[in-house]
Amino acid sequence: MGGETHVNQSRRVHDLGGTLGWGRVPYDPQEEPFHEEWERRVFGMIFQVLPQTAVRPGEFRHTLERLAKDDYFAPDGYYGRWRSAMEVLLEEYGHFEPGELDGCLGVPPGTGAGYRVQSPVAVDENDLPPDSPTPVPEHRTVRRELDRTPYFQAGDRVVATGNKAGGHTRLPEYVQGVPGTVVKIHPAEVLPDSTAHGLGERPQHVVSVAYEARDLWGEEAEEKVVINVDLYENYLQLEAEAQ
Amino acid sequence: MTETHDHSHETNADSSEIRTAALEDLLVEKGIVDRSRIDSLVERFEHDLGPMIGARLVARAWRESDFQSRLISDADEVLRQENIRGAEIEHVEVKVNEPGIHNVVVCTLCSCYPWALLGLPPAWYKSPEYRARVVREPRKVLEEMGLSLEPDTEIRVWDSSSETRFLVLPEQPAGSEGLGLEDLAALVTRDSMIGVAKALNP
Repeated sequence: MGGETHVNQSRRVHDLGGTLGWGRVPYDPQEEPFHEEWERRVFGMIFQVLPQTAVRPGEFRHTLERLAKDDYFAPDGYYGRWRSAMEVLLEEYGHFEPGELDGCLGVPPGTGAGYRVQSPVAVDENDLPPDSPTPVPEHRTVRRELDRTPYFQAGDRVVATGNKAGGHTRLPEYVQGVPGTVVKIHPAEVLPDSTAHGLGERPQHVVSVAYEARDLWGEEAEEKVVINVDLYENYLQLEAEAQ
Repeated sequence: MTETHDHSHETNADSSEIRTAALEDLLVEKGIVDRSRIDSLVERFEHDLGPMIGARLVARAWRESDFQSRLISDADEVLRQENIRGAEIEHVEVKVNEPGIHNVVVCTLCSCYPWALLGLPPAWYKSPEYRARVVREPRKVLEEMGLSLEPDTEIRVWDSSSETRFLVLPEQPAGSEGLGLEDLAALVTRDSMIGVAKALNP
């Protein structure tokens, strides 16, 4: 796969929406979820490893996003990526010594993704919206009940500005700076940009925003296409108030 | 090393199978992972969950217009009533295909997918090709995948960038009107609920 020639170099490795140069989707209508037995093992392990490592919402995703490009796009695909992220977490949380797995494999230290991973950046709390603690439900969920009303309503023209904090975010780059129309407000959730870094929940309403393909891709856009993206409220400004 | 997987004669630390086995051995040795729980987790996600759960909802929505309205207006409430719960369905929205409107779901930032309704996603859904292209040229991508839409059909792409998960309600195929629930559900493929295919013809 090799993302090298495909991905805009300024983009973060996982932020793929709209990037150019990719070929046909490797489509198989009959495809089963697992191809190899080792993929099943990785899947079964991750659910036991995460409760002892990345327990915060967004933390595991951010670990995947911090992988080196060659590890993110490794030939063994999605479950290979999960295994790499698992190795990183086990080392970062002190369950494994760096290179310990290499020792088991009988090779010199240095083959693991932990040697190539990007460290988490220090996110400045001032770049995040203020926290407004809400009751935490008894069952595990990212949904929260906010006692304030959403800032936006259906029909508003909005624009998403970049994530200044520089860490994990759920704002895809392809919609940044492009005006769209609010179509619906989803239930509020904790803000992954904050929780992934251990900076509190800072719950936000989630806004479904519709973008015209022409606004995103210009003249080359296909006709009659709308792309809907779910954005945390703090990502957005009214178009009229932006700039 | 443990006695169960002695790979010390191997030198290829990048081999997926060998590396995964060594990781499992080390995790078991440290008491972080229980092998039998790996088996039970895989068993549950591979066999107890799957597209048949979503397919039954779609089939019922085809037969009962009241159920369809409730599914569209508040899927979370329907799932609660039907006792459907599990991973990756914190908030579900059902998007209806109809003449002139076609919905298709993606996650450009990772691979979000409604596990408890469709089971685990196929590799193509998680591929960079799908994630990159279906927001930019959905008509072409769908065509390459075998789904040709009329030029005047509006395509609505849903990028799963929050914890909302989307299920496409495909159009009911002609000639299936008299079928029972189970026969209807058999026409509803996983891919028709992602939006890259139509439901099967009876």
